[in-house]
Amino acid sequence: MHDVIIIGKGPAGISAALYTARANLKTLIIGRDDSVLRKAEKIENYYGFSDVISGEFLLREGEQQALRVGAQIVDDEVVTIEKKDFFEVVTSEERFIAKAVLVATGQPQKKVRVENLESFEGRGVSYCTTCDGFFYNNLKVGVLGFKDFAVHEAIELESYTSNITIYTNGKELELTEKSHEECQRFSINVKPIEKIDGSEFLQRIYFTDGTSEELDGLFVAFESASSVDFARKLGIITEGNAVVVDKNQQTNLEGLFAAGDCTGGFKQISTAVGQGALAGKRIIEYVRSL
Amino acid sequence: MSVKVYSTPTCPYCTMAKEYLESKNVQFDYIDVSADRNAANEMITKSGQRGVPVLDINGNIVVGFDKAKIDSLI
Repeated sequence: MHDVIIIGKGPAGISAALYTARANLKTLIIGRDDSVLRKAEKIENYYGFSDVISGEFLLREGEQQALRVGAQIVDDEVVTIEKKDFFEVVTSEERFIAKAVLVATGQPQKKVRVENLESFEGRGVSYCTTCDGFFYNNLKVGVLGFKDFAVHEAIELESYTSNITIYTNGKELELTEKSHEECQRFSINVKPIEKIDGSEFLQRIYFTDGTSEELDGLFVAFESASSVDFARKLGIITEGNAVVVDKNQQTNLEGLFAAGDCTGGFKQISTAVGQGALAGKRIIEYVRSL
Repeated sequence: MSVKVYSTPTCPYCTMAKEYLESKNVQFDYIDVSADRNAANEMITKSGQRGVPVLDINGNIVVGFDKAKIDSLI
């Protein structure tokens, strides 16, 4: 078991890890190289560098720093977090257990654009298989997505129905080997989607090639699972796309912390680093109190 | 006051709604729609949608754990 699992290896996550690992907490960082900071070519407003630095440089140095103080880093995508006696952090490949979890996954990605998607929310469109899967017993459901997250959601829906299609909306599947094997039992539709439609509830999905098919439910799991997706599964309070935290970066679920851009506010490297440090300090206290 | 909470066992916001009402000393019926198909249909008819939790507070329907709306009705 790990003392703390940090999801995300941007400035907030790495900053927290520097504190927890140096305090001898068994610290695991899980993330992919998908930080928006990686695209920043020139950073001039972060303390301590007289020359202009790049986001790529800062992220690389941060990872090396975390490794040097004893943190472990795993390159993987977290698809869900479950709360049992401890936290179980599930990736496409493995299941890790930790006493505390820090969500530092950055700004949630923009929603996928499909005509009528929002107007059918709650009437066929759902963002939470855990919450709403039950309502689709033996019906035809789809998962909108193309990554490991989508496959995980499809697997969750198997408790309710066997008629499951993954709709990639024109994207190629981007899966680990394990997810690729698991998705063989689902239908895969890679056509770009024109719209969804129905009357009182969702009834049909239409594609840009003029074809359409019946559909009772569509679960959105586009791109990688974001902080908001984790929040929905765990009952974490959010405001818009921001996870709500207290002054110690603690969410409403004990042992679950959040820091950086996923908490909204002033989205800067310096604030992410500061929030990561605060979270790290509080996580040390929390784990030692157990 | 008549309060019903339509829920499923795996829905974290249902638990939050339940705990919130308890903290306010509000009496309520906690209905597991996954175990009661008629109650599930009743919930869908009342709220026009299939997401949980749904709260029926004296005939006023609240979809989701909307604390402000709950506060205004209890």
